[in-house]
Amino acid sequence: MKRMALLLLASLLAASFLFGSLVAFAEDEEEHGGDIIYTKPLKAVIFSHKAHTEDIGLECDWCHEETFEMEALHMQENTDFTMDSLCNENYCGTCHNGDISFSTTTQCARCHIGVKGYNDLVRQGKLEPAEGEEIPEEQKPGH
Amino acid sequence: MKLTNIDLEKLIPENLISVTKMERRAFLKIGLVITGVFAGGRILSVTSNVSEAFASGKDFVDQYPYKPHYSMVIRQGLCIDCERCLKACKETNSVPDYGYRTRILTKIVTDAVGRKREFIPILCNHCNDAPCTRACPTRATYKNKENGIVMMESKKCIGCKMCILACPYEARYFNAERHAIDKCNFCWDTRLSKGEKLTACSYVCPTGARIFGDMSDPDNVAYKMVHQVEKQVWVLRPESGTKPNVFYMKATRSSPWDLRKQDGAR
Ligand code: SF4
Ligand code: SF4
Repeated sequence: MKRMALLLLASLLAASFLFGSLVAFAEDEEEHGGDIIYTKPLKAVIFSHKAHTEDIGLECDWCHEETFEMEALHMQENTDFTMDSLCNENYCGTCHNGDISFSTTTQCARCHIGVKGYNDLVRQGKLEPAEGEEIPEEQKPGH
Repeated sequence: MKLTNIDLEKLIPENLISVTKMERRAFLKIGLVITGVFAGGRILSVTSNVSEAFASGKDFVDQYPYKPHYSMVIRQGLCIDCERCLKACKETNSVPDYGYRTRILTKIVTDAVGRKREFIPILCNHCNDAPCTRACPTRATYKNKENGIVMMESKKCIGCKMCILACPYEARYFNAERHAIDKCNFCWDTRLSKGEKLTACSYVCPTGARIFGDMSDPDNVAYKMVHQVEKQVWVLRPESGTKPNVFYMKATRSSPWDLRKQDGAR
């Protein structure tokens, strides 16, 4: 088990090195994959490795590689990476089914940070914008 | 540009006494009881009182003066700020990058279930008693007598911006290319008048956060949503009472695959 964990850790490290710009801003990236920001099929959804591992104690292999490949954002290329599919207990919905954890039909804005959340992260330098992408000036809160 | 600052961050209930009797009656007429006042009177919360206030559904429907009486119900809690609505609006209605007909506000929330934010779409309320139309010296902006949509006749607009000052909801901007004020018209020229059932924003919204419909029809989805007994519904409004036609309510659960087919329109 220990060997397995080490292996996983090693591949996580490799992944965070390879996809450093995507796994943007965890302080201790050596422990997990940091925050992943999905932008497809829509902008934007946050997945926090910290919240899932450090805070609630899930093991890497509970999700990797069966539900999620190691490569960050890999599943964004799949045509079934949609809410319909999540609601049928695929991807995030494997656990977020209202049974193991809150359902993907509730608490939308807990994971969806929106275009505004995405723009904020880019402005804060925590995320690289896509090529040629222009980020508008910040709006005042409430506007 | 003047910003009226509808501060949704700090919604603290205020004294109900500030609501005038006249305004209470105005809402009662459409079957809604005022239950709360927020943000210096800019936001009211109301609940449905239809079953007590009216002997029959027909009496009640008579209270919506237009036919169809277009309205939008914003289901707060479902919006995910994907901004597909903004994009669709801009494309459909040729809105320039510096302008907007609708926007999404962010409200930071910290509650027990760990939510962090709430997104709130805003747009022209198509007020029944519209201060913008009263402020306009040339009648370039007016309320359509049949469907109640507050419209612009760009040719007549002299760009004096009186309507921008009069509107309590920041629903208007100056469009340099048209040399006129521009605003949401529920996609009247671009969609509804051509037979489409929904505005561009409600058509593309993937979550059902924007329900567009006809309040003069008790079978319409928008009507049914607002008039669920005991369901709390909000409107944004200034002290003067504009009788807005955009209603807000909390939604905690979505079924995306059903909601996308709003009203069988797709
Ligand atoms: S399309 Fe719907 S969910 Fe997306 S930002 Fe607009 S109202 Fe919100
Ligand atoms: S929201 Fe503003 S622009 Fe729209 S009808 Fe009311 S006052 Fe006029």
